Amino acid sequence: MTARGTSSRFLRSVLQNGVGRYVCQLKRVSLIFSKNGQGSLGAREFIEDGVVDFARKNPGVVVYVSPQPVQVAKIVAEYLNGSVREETVNKKTTQEIGEILGQLANQSGLDIIRIRKPFHTDSPSIQGQWHPFVNRPSTLGMIRPQDRQPE
Amino acid sequence: MASGYLVSRGANALGIHVQRFSRNILYTQIRKKPRWMRAYTLLMERKKKLEGPPPPRPRSHQPNWDYHAEIQALSSRLQENFSLELLKLAFVNPCYVRAEEERRRLLELDNQTAALNLKDNAQLHVQGLNFTMAFLTDWCRSNFTSLPDQAVAAVVGHLSCPEVVCHVARNLAIEELTLSGQFPVPESILHDTFFAVIGALQESSGPERAAFFLRDFLITQLIGKDLFELWPVVNPMGLLVEEMSSRNLPLPEPRLTRSAGASTVLPLYFVGLYSDKKLLAEAPGETILAAEEEAARVALRKLYGYTENRRPWDFSALLEQSSLFALRTSKNP
Repeated sequence: MTARGTSSRFLRSVLQNGVGRYVCQLKRVSLIFSKNGQGSLGAREFIEDGVVDFARKNPGVVVYVSPQPVQVAKIVAEYLNGSVREETVNKKTTQEIGEILGQLANQSGLDIIRIRKPFHTDSPSIQGQWHPFVNRPSTLGMIRPQDRQPE
Repeated sequence: MASGYLVSRGANALGIHVQRFSRNILYTQIRKKPRWMRAYTLLMERKKKLEGPPPPRPRSHQPNWDYHAEIQALSSRLQENFSLELLKLAFVNPCYVRAEEERRRLLELDNQTAALNLKDNAQLHVQGLNFTMAFLTDWCRSNFTSLPDQAVAAVVGHLSCPEVVCHVARNLAIEELTLSGQFPVPESILHDTFFAVIGALQESSGPERAAFFLRDFLITQLIGKDLFELWPVVNPMGLLVEEMSSRNLPLPEPRLTRSAGASTVLPLYFVGLYSDKKLLAEAPGETILAAEEEAARVALRKLYGYTENRRPWDFSALLEQSSLFALRTSKNP
């Protein structure tokens, strides 16, 4: 796929986050796993080892742990701007699940698509829109061809 | 092996097998692809297409929802020390109380057993709204000292209009915590709830923290906004003349400074405003009148100190003037 064909966006933040204070954009995480499935082994171990630490480290995130008869264990992350992301954690180890959760907590919830430039401004032109008098000395009233340089 | 076979034959002869098979006569396991599945899924898809998408469900009616935990998380996410009772009270709207009482009456419960001891956020809402208006006006006055009263009112009105406030409230997850009679939550109720939250913050951790909250979440919405986007001025030239005469400055004289392509479809005129033979402002336009109006706007922005290239407001610094304001309000509530 070419760059023009893929969806893209500009660099943005939710609600000018970080201008005043930083707000963790992850608001809710549900860890859905099976009580006796093989693929959920890592998820069960993570619930024993790491989930309390994660919740303690991020008091602004509500962590729900729900055992369900599912084949594939997954993490459902909900963000402040209303977007929901699902990550499957089937056959993942405790460490990998911890990394995925940390990554989800650091994201803003905006679409994960190509970002056109690593910087963005709302007023792109510093000297203003081009007009026929750009870079003309103000004393000359008329536009005329510039004098030839003596060769 | 053989003896087992014989035993089972004997059991069959006794008629045991009839009983065993008759138990699950309704469901026979066939080891092949279920041929009814395709028709069934197609039918379900068609039904879904005819019915349209299901109506949105409030987050509180979906699995994994603990209201108390959510409230607590909101408090620590915003790095504020809310008193949780006040914060919970701030989310209870009068329409929710009314709807809940109606629902209980329809269930024909006894008035004694099903009494709803809920206060609503009307008082907090009024308190938060008053505080917000006072703080925003004070902030505008102290930061843009030469801005006239009308412009200050327009900026404050823009910041506290339902559109901006609801945008902020939705992106802080206040909408899904709101207890309202209707769903989706109407804009007016969300607007009230946001101000009730500010009132609760002011009650629980003082006006200074509430001022910080407003600065970080409401005033940041002013970034990138032009003055005349917020404050529609019909006749900028008249306003400029008024301003200049009130400041005892010589009146502005418009002069055509440059023009190009006057007979084409894309003419361009530059009008400069001179006051006492000094250039006040210069602006382009497609007609001379439009250029003059634009030049007047540029001159007004310079007079009011609201130019596009002004120094950005420092959000990281402490609020000196607002802390003064907070002290003043706490002394005379």
